[in-house]
Amino acid sequence: MTGPMGTEHIRNFSIVAHIDHGKSTLADRLLERTGAVSDRDKKDQMLDDMDLERERGITIKSSAVTMTYHRHGRDYMLNLIDTPGHVDFHYEVSRSLAACEGALLVVDAAQGIEAQTVANAYLAVDTHNEIIPVVNKIDLPAAAPDRVAEEIEHVFGIEREACIFLSAKTGQGVEALLDAVVDRLPPPADRLDEPTAALIFDSWADPYRGVVCMVRAFAGELVVGRKIRLMSSGRTYTVTELGRLAPMPTPIERLGCGEVGYVIANIRRLADVTVGETITDDARPAARPLPGYKRPVQMVFSDFYPGQNTDYPRLRAAFEKLTLNDASFSFSPHNSAALGFGFRCGFLGLLHMEIIQERLERESDVEVVQTAPTVSYEVLTSDGQVTRIDSPSALPDRSRLAEIREPIVRLEVLTTTETIGGVMKLAEQRRCRLLRTDTLGPTRVLLEYKAPLAEIVYDFYDQLKGISHGYATMDYDFVAFEPGDLVKIDILVNKEPVDALSMIVHRSVAEVRGRQMLMRLRDAIPRHQFEVPLQAAIGGKIIARETIKAFRKDVTAKLYGGDVTRKMKVLKRQREGKKRMKAIGRVQIPQEAFMSVLNRGDKS
Amino acid sequence: MTPQPAVAMYVHVPFCRGKCRYCAFVSEPVTPARAETVVAALIHEACQRAQPDTVETLYIGGGCPTVLPETDLLRFVTVLAESHPHVTEFTVEAHPAQVSGPLLRRLREAGVNRLSIGAQSFVPGELQRLGRAHTTADVAHSVYAACRAGFGNLSLDLIAAVPGSTLGDFEHSLRCAIDLAPRHVSVYALSYEAGTELTRQRDAGLIEPVDEETDRAMTFAAIEILAAAGFEQYEISNFARPGFECRHNLTYWANRPWLGIGPSAASWDGVRRTTNVADVEEYLRRIAADQEPWNEVVSPDPIEIACETAVLNLRRRGGIDLAEYQRATGFDAMELFAEAIAEHVQAGFLACRDGRVVLTTAAVPVADRILCDFAAL
Ligand SMILES: Nc1nc2c(ncn2[C@@H]2O[C@H](COP(=O)(O)OP(=O)(O)O)[C@@H](O)[C@H]2O)c(=O)[nH]1
Repeated sequence: MTGPMGTEHIRNFSIVAHIDHGKSTLADRLLERTGAVSDRDKKDQMLDDMDLERERGITIKSSAVTMTYHRHGRDYMLNLIDTPGHVDFHYEVSRSLAACEGALLVVDAAQGIEAQTVANAYLAVDTHNEIIPVVNKIDLPAAAPDRVAEEIEHVFGIEREACIFLSAKTGQGVEALLDAVVDRLPPPADRLDEPTAALIFDSWADPYRGVVCMVRAFAGELVVGRKIRLMSSGRTYTVTELGRLAPMPTPIERLGCGEVGYVIANIRRLADVTVGETITDDARPAARPLPGYKRPVQMVFSDFYPGQNTDYPRLRAAFEKLTLNDASFSFSPHNSAALGFGFRCGFLGLLHMEIIQERLERESDVEVVQTAPTVSYEVLTSDGQVTRIDSPSALPDRSRLAEIREPIVRLEVLTTTETIGGVMKLAEQRRCRLLRTDTLGPTRVLLEYKAPLAEIVYDFYDQLKGISHGYATMDYDFVAFEPGDLVKIDILVNKEPVDALSMIVHRSVAEVRGRQMLMRLRDAIPRHQFEVPLQAAIGGKIIARETIKAFRKDVTAKLYGGDVTRKMKVLKRQREGKKRMKAIGRVQIPQEAFMSVLNRGDKS
Repeated sequence: MTPQPAVAMYVHVPFCRGKCRYCAFVSEPVTPARAETVVAALIHEACQRAQPDTVETLYIGGGCPTVLPETDLLRFVTVLAESHPHVTEFTVEAHPAQVSGPLLRRLREAGVNRLSIGAQSFVPGELQRLGRAHTTADVAHSVYAACRAGFGNLSLDLIAAVPGSTLGDFEHSLRCAIDLAPRHVSVYALSYEAGTELTRQRDAGLIEPVDEETDRAMTFAAIEILAAAGFEQYEISNFARPGFECRHNLTYWANRPWLGIGPSAASWDGVRRTTNVADVEEYLRRIAADQEPWNEVVSPDPIEIACETAVLNLRRRGGIDLAEYQRATGFDAMELFAEAIAEHVQAGFLACRDGRVVLTTAAVPVADRILCDFAAL
């Protein structure tokens, strides 16, 4: 199947869908129909299985499977490149899409288009993928395939006749889909003669074999024993093994143009390879790297502190473990006067953050206390320099500050027509600018916004769910950094600024946000012997203030002989409580108080 | 370390006529037969453990000692007085509605030289809310009767921050107390003890505790008004005309050894703190069987003793007398608590002067926040 056959027989595609619309079920069905997985060793939701498998000494991650499908009297090689399991990660989706020529856009016949469907379709179009719309779950009594096909036509401008109607559950229509994959998706361009250029779209560390890279060859070929070069780092390695996942690892001698497979080449550390990077032949290198895809940037930041059952070294170990197979997550020690020792963590987006949290708990059983997420900003200084900052305290002095730019996203919200008013009001409060509305049938509306990421990272989704009675779905995608009328609010406790509490906000909401923060602080900070003023300030100008009253009385009325032992116990406990306080100047604040103010669980 | 002889003896009388709503002390209603049995047991324990050569103060409290039948009380007082020849201060707690002129005279004759009268308040509504079974007139009458009986050393107890009380109410009580010309006044801010009726009422929302500002203002009002009348605050809750400080209680704050007799009473001999069983029945059984009456024994280590001593000393406005402290504990308090002292001196809550470390007046309402830093190292 390799070699001189060209690329005519190859189809590289992925499946994108809103969560629960049946992506994993469909993938299983495809594997089954093409015989890649026999019924006997079929495992439910093969592609969804995140657990690392062990076979012939390599850990495999089912990030791509190669199937064979017979049509028009010949065998076609179908490479299904997985987009991640349970949640759509844009960066991973686009990473997969970049390696494909086509995408199956799966929509639930009963649910219709959802926000993620829209976001994913945009990504597929952006990465020049041919789309095959798939209306799934037609076996459901509530299925309305025609209506959904109409929605697809309306929202994406794809003719309704192009839809494949199927049931991933019963298998009905799956053959037609496989036929369409062969007939309607383009084969990869045949560039076998050109210098080798292969895109790494996934990689993971294998404890015995080093780093395993999943690649898509765009030009030339990879051959066992040849010396390859990673184009961005310039490092060279010798290929020791090539193979396909079918879905069991099947070694091959060469990986031809247009094909998808794994590469093992004595790469020791995961950090040495970047997903999106191009592999070329060391002897005959390509002139320039593949365009790859939009490299994801860390956009959302949050501080993690050890929780109840956890200490600092344990949390560090847990983070280290996570970075082994997620290079886009980062953490660095962060010591705050207010909160003690913790880590500042960077994520690609909100979903990424949630996954990391979940994995932390599941894989390492650590408890964490986490601050509300913030975003990264671009800062233009008066000398013309542009820098990226991920914390308000990193802002340069006001005298040198020319401009603050914030990340802007394209936000899709899908909701019901009854709740549209509430949703639009929320969006307006969060500085979102409406780009378009699309009515999907009589009851549903798609709203598209240009939105500041900072406004939606915190609490937006929960509010949206509330307003829409759980119905609305949302998704977003980064567009650009844009200048805004942004200011830094300093929070002063007893006249001293507290770094961990400062924030960057839009001027129009500065006063409100400042006041909210002070109110939460007022409720959380215990009293002192003296009154404690709380202030919110922008560049020295006070915009809001609150006061914490002095101590309530705290003195035992009677202490005679009989009470000594009991009283000493009580006093010792009180002393322990005092020791847990963090001092801000003369003000002692229990760490828990800060946490309650900064904790993302704490809604204002 | 060896136990030291007690310099004070306290006797707990586990009886009351009714239970006051704020009280968490061990007490039960009295019957003549019961009184006789219990007094016999108290006398037995007191005699067993007596340290006649060293005890200088006696104090009968409770409960309410004056609820005992007169004969029992007098018998008891007499035995105690006779077996302690060196006693210079002998206090009995008295309920304003339970003392008659003749009883007081007999107590005086039997050797009692100090009375502590539970006045609590001079606002009738407050007495009612506290569940006190006496009137403000009873207080006045008992004070006059005590004077006529020859008691020159009288103490009145007052309770501050009674629910529903205003600063004006409390000042009124203070003035009334002063008008009765006692030598000593104790002012206790009401505390809501677990298991008391008042706590239950508060938790049920039936009464509302006095607000914080008023509570604090009452603390300072007591200090000022009593000072103006010649009463010096010598301990957080205690005020006296010069020379009339309660010597018995000073023993506790000096952390010197004392004996506690009766159910739930605690003792300290410089090595062990023992606490007698609280259950009266069990107490009687143990005394009858000649067993040790305590069921709790704690032996603090030298550091713990040093901490206890510091905490107790600081309750006195005279604070820690550094020389005395060094003698008693073997430690230099300035060194032992250097950090806490420095911090609180800087904050204006402690002062070091004349070889002493003392609480400042500003520290009084929040004393526990300072004391807790002396509770452990
Ligand atoms: N009735 C019916 N249920 C389906 C069909 N396809 C998937 N499902 C169910 O829909 C749910 C979500 O499917 P899954 O493949 O996990 O969705 P994913 O989140 O997109 O991967 C599961 O309970 C599936 O069993 C279908 O064609 N018909």
